Amino acid sequence: MFSIPNFVIPDLLLLLFPFIVIGSRLFCTDRSKAPWRIGNIGFILIFILLNLIPLASGAGRFFITNWHIDDFGVLMREVLMVSAILGIWLAKDYFDHSGDGKPAMHQIAEFIGTVAFATFGGFTVVSACDMLTFFLGLEIATIPMYALAAWNKRDQYGSEAATKYILMGSVATAFELFGFSYLYGFAGSIHFEAIQQAVAAGTSPLLWIAVLFLFAGIGFKLTLFPFYTWAPDVYEGAPTPVTAILSVTSKATAIAFLVVLVYGPLAPIQEQVAPFIALLAGTTLFVGNLGALKQFRLRRFMAYSSIAQAGYIMVALLGPAATAKTAIIYYLFVYAVSNYLAFFIFGIIGHHREETFNSLRGLSKQKPMLAIALAVAMFSLAGIPPLAGFFGKFHLFFSGASTGHYGIVAFAVLNNVLALYYYLQLIKSAWIDETDDHLNPLRMTKRQRGVIGLLTVAVIVLGALPFLSDNIFAGFTF
Amino acid sequence: MDSLLFNLIWIIPLFTVLACAPIPSHKESLLKTIHAFSGTLVLLLVGYLTYRLYTLGIDSASADSAPLLLHYYMDIPWIHTLNAHYSVGADGLNIFLLFLTAVIVWAGILVSWNIKGNQKVFFALIQLLATSVYGVFMSMDLVLFFVFYEMEALCMYLMIAGYGSGRKDYGGKKLTLTLAFGSSMILATLFGLYFESGINSWSIVELSKITLPMDYQMWAFPLMFMGFAVSSSLFPFHFWSPDGHSAAPTAVSMLAAGVMMKMGAYGCLRVAMFLMPEAAKIWLPYVVALLIFNVVLGPFIALRHKDLKYITAYSSISHLGLIFLGLAAMTPVGLRGASLQMISHGFLTGLFFATIGMIYERTHTRDITEMGGIMRKLPFLGVGFVIAGFAGLGLPGFSGFIAESNIFIGAFQQDSTITRIVTVLAILSITTTAVYILQTANRMLHGNMPAKYATLTDACFREKLVVVVLVTCLLLIGVFPGWIADMLDQSIAPIFSKIGL
Repeated sequence: MFSIPNFVIPDLLLLLFPFIVIGSRLFCTDRSKAPWRIGNIGFILIFILLNLIPLASGAGRFFITNWHIDDFGVLMREVLMVSAILGIWLAKDYFDHSGDGKPAMHQIAEFIGTVAFATFGGFTVVSACDMLTFFLGLEIATIPMYALAAWNKRDQYGSEAATKYILMGSVATAFELFGFSYLYGFAGSIHFEAIQQAVAAGTSPLLWIAVLFLFAGIGFKLTLFPFYTWAPDVYEGAPTPVTAILSVTSKATAIAFLVVLVYGPLAPIQEQVAPFIALLAGTTLFVGNLGALKQFRLRRFMAYSSIAQAGYIMVALLGPAATAKTAIIYYLFVYAVSNYLAFFIFGIIGHHREETFNSLRGLSKQKPMLAIALAVAMFSLAGIPPLAGFFGKFHLFFSGASTGHYGIVAFAVLNNVLALYYYLQLIKSAWIDETDDHLNPLRMTKRQRGVIGLLTVAVIVLGALPFLSDNIFAGFTF
Repeated sequence: MDSLLFNLIWIIPLFTVLACAPIPSHKESLLKTIHAFSGTLVLLLVGYLTYRLYTLGIDSASADSAPLLLHYYMDIPWIHTLNAHYSVGADGLNIFLLFLTAVIVWAGILVSWNIKGNQKVFFALIQLLATSVYGVFMSMDLVLFFVFYEMEALCMYLMIAGYGSGRKDYGGKKLTLTLAFGSSMILATLFGLYFESGINSWSIVELSKITLPMDYQMWAFPLMFMGFAVSSSLFPFHFWSPDGHSAAPTAVSMLAAGVMMKMGAYGCLRVAMFLMPEAAKIWLPYVVALLIFNVVLGPFIALRHKDLKYITAYSSISHLGLIFLGLAAMTPVGLRGASLQMISHGFLTGLFFATIGMIYERTHTRDITEMGGIMRKLPFLGVGFVIAGFAGLGLPGFSGFIAESNIFIGAFQQDSTITRIVTVLAILSITTTAVYILQTANRMLHGNMPAKYATLTDACFREKLVVVVLVTCLLLIGVFPGWIADMLDQSIAPIFSKIGL
C-alpha cells in the first residue's frame, strides 16, 4: 500500500491548490472576492502546516527517491510561502484598482494560481535530488513568472518587459541545460550523490565548463553581473505585485538553487569555486549600487537595489554549509519583509501618483507614519542597525569571513556606504523636499495601514530582538 | 540590583519612545513633559550609579570581568548563530562618559522645547540617539557595540534632514555617509578579529586576554583606528563635522559634538588600542603627524569663519585632536589626559552649542558680523557663551585646563621628537584659540547693537537651568579634578598593563 508521509502534505496541497483557486471561478462571479479569500486561507494553511513538520535530523527524509526534505528545505519553503502570502496581499490592492476599464478583482483567481505554481517550483528546487527534478523545479518557478510579468498585456511597457524577460530567460535556460548536460557527461549520472562522488574523485575541464554555464544560467535569474540587464526594465514594466514577487520569490528560488548546487554536488570543489563566487558577488553588488545611484523612478531604483542585494547574498556562499544556509535563510526572511514593505508603500504611491522620487515629496508632512515606515524599510535594506537588514547582512558577511575571505567582505562592507547614499536619497525626498501642490493626495485603506504597520513592526522586531528570529534556527540542522 | 538598574540606562529611553507612540502628535506639551521626565530619570539613575561606583571603589569590580575592572558586569548569550553576547559593564571611564551623555541628552531635550516640525518624531529620535550612545558606552561585546555604534547614523540623518537649517540635506548626508564609511571600516576589521583571534569570541574582556596575530594587527589596526577616528573628526576625515554641525538643530549639534564624537575616541582607546597594542605602538607615531592639522591648523580655520557653528565645529576639531595627542602619547599621564578631555570637552561643547542655539533662536542668524552688542539684551546667554569660551581656551579653574595640561605633560614625556614638536605646536596653538574665542565674543557681544535686536529677551528658566548645570559640571571637574582623575587612573590601568607601560 502506497502511503503519503505527512511531511509532504504541504507540498501536495500547494500542488493541488492552483486547481482549487482557478476552479473556484466556476462557481463565483468575476468580481467576487472569494478566490482571494480562498487564496489567503490556502497559503496561510500551508504556511502553518510547514511549521508543524517535525524537524529532520541530519540528512533529511526521502519521498519517492528523488524528493528530499531537510531543514533547509523546510525553511526555504517558509520563506517562499511568506513571499506568496505578502504577494497576494499586495495584489489585492492592484486588483482593487485594476486599470484599463477592467472590473475589480478581474482574474485574481488566475493570478493566485500562477503565484502558487511559481512557489511550487521553488519547493521543487529545494527538494530535488537529481538534475532532472532540479531543472524542472527551476522551470516551474520561472515560467509562471513570465506570465505574471505580462499580466497587464495591454500595457506597452508591460509587454515589452515581458518579452525581454522571456527571451533572456530562455537563453538562461539553454545555458542551464548545457551546463547540466556537461555535468552529466562528466559524472555519468543525474543523481546528486553520484555527481558529488565523481567531483570528489577528480576534476576535469568538462566540469569547469559545466560550472561556468550553470552559474551563467542562474546568474540571469539571480540578476548577477553581467546578466542583470533585464531586471530594471522588467521590474519597471511589470505590475507592482509582480515586481515584488519577482524580486523575492524568484530571487529566493535562484539562491536556493545555488545553495543546493554548491553544498550538494559541487561541495568538494567549493574552495576552488570560491574566487569565482567572490568575483561574481563583488562585481554584482558594485554594479547594482552604482546603477541605483542615479535612478529617480521608484521601481527601477528597487531593481538596482535588489541586484545589489543579490551580490550581498552571494558573499555568504563562500562560507561553510551550516553558516551559509543559516545566513541565507535569515537574510531572505529579512529581505522579503523589508522589500515587501517598500513595495506596499510604493504601491500606494503608485495608485495616486507617478512612481518617481518626486511623488514622495512632502510625505513626512502629509503622512508621517508612512514616511517613518518608508525610512524603516530603506534603512533596513541599507543595513543600518538595529533594523533587521543589518543583522541579515551581518550574518552574510560572517559566513563569508568564516573561511577567511576578508577581502570580499571588506569590499562588500565598504560598498554599503554607497548603498546608504541612494537609500538616503529616497528618504530625503520623503523627509526634506517640500510638497508640490499638484500631487494627488494619498489615501490608504484600513487593510493597507494594517499590513504596513505589521511589516514595519516585523522589520524592527526581527532586528531589535534577533534572539526571537534566532529561535527559528533552534534545533535545525543544515 | 545595581546591575539591573544599569541596564535601565538604555532601556528607559527606548521605552519612552514606545510609550509615546500611541499619543497623538498634537499633544505636544504632554509628549515633551514625558521626554523631559525620562531624560531626568536617566540622569538621576546614572548619577546614582556613578556615586555607587565611587563609594564602592573601582577595585571592587566583578571578578568575571578581569583583566578589566568592570562594575555592573553582565554577560548573557544573545545571538547564537553569531555567537554574540549581550555583555555590558562599566568602569570609571565608561561611567563618566555615560554621565556626560545623560547630562547632554537631558540638556538637549530641554533646549529643543520649541523646535519646529513634528515634535513627536523629533523627541523619539533624540531618545533613540540617546539609546545608541548609552549602548556604545555600556557594551563589552563587539557585535552589541557595533549595533549601537552604527545606530546613530539613522537618527542623525533623519534629525538633520527633518529639523535642521541651511543646507540640511548636504550637511546631513555628508555627516551620515562619512560616519557610515568609518563604521564600515570598523566592521570590515571586526570579522577578522573574531576569526583570527583563535578563540572565536566577540567579547572585549575575552579578547583582551590574548595577543592577536601580528600580521592581522598590522592591517587591521590602522583601518579600525581610522574608522573610529572618523567620528572624532581626525584629519583627513574631519570634513563632515563643520557642515554637519551647522546644518543640525541645536540638540543634535550638542549630542554630535558632545558625545558622539567621543564615541570614536573611546572606541580607539577601548577597542583598537586595547586589543591591538603591538600594532598601536608601530602605527600611532604616524597618527601624531596627522594631528598637526587638527590641533595647529584647526584654530586658524576657526579664526577665518563667520558662522558661530563653524567656529565651534573647528574648535571641536582642534580639541578632539588633543584627545588623540593624549592617546598617541601612550603614556599613563597622556591617556588620563585624553580620558579627561573626552569628558571635559563633552560638557564644554555642549555648553557652546546650547548657548549658540539659544542665541540663534532669538537673532535668527549665526553670522557674527551681523551681530553686535547683544550682551546688553542677553546678558545671561552672553555670559554663558563667554564661560564656554574661557573653558575652551583652557583657563585654569575649568575642566579643560586639567585635561589639556595632562595631555601636554603626557605627550612630552614620550621619547620621540615628532611627538614633542607637535606637543609644543599644540601648546602654542592655544594662543590662536584664545584669539578666535575672544574675537568672536567681542564682535558678537559688544559694540554697536543693530536696532532689530532691541526687542530680544534673555534666557527663560528652562534655558538658564541648562546653562547652569553645564557650567557646574565644567567647574566641578576643573576645581576638584582629583577624585575623577583617580577613578580614571584605576580604570585605565588594565589598558596600561596590556600596552606594556
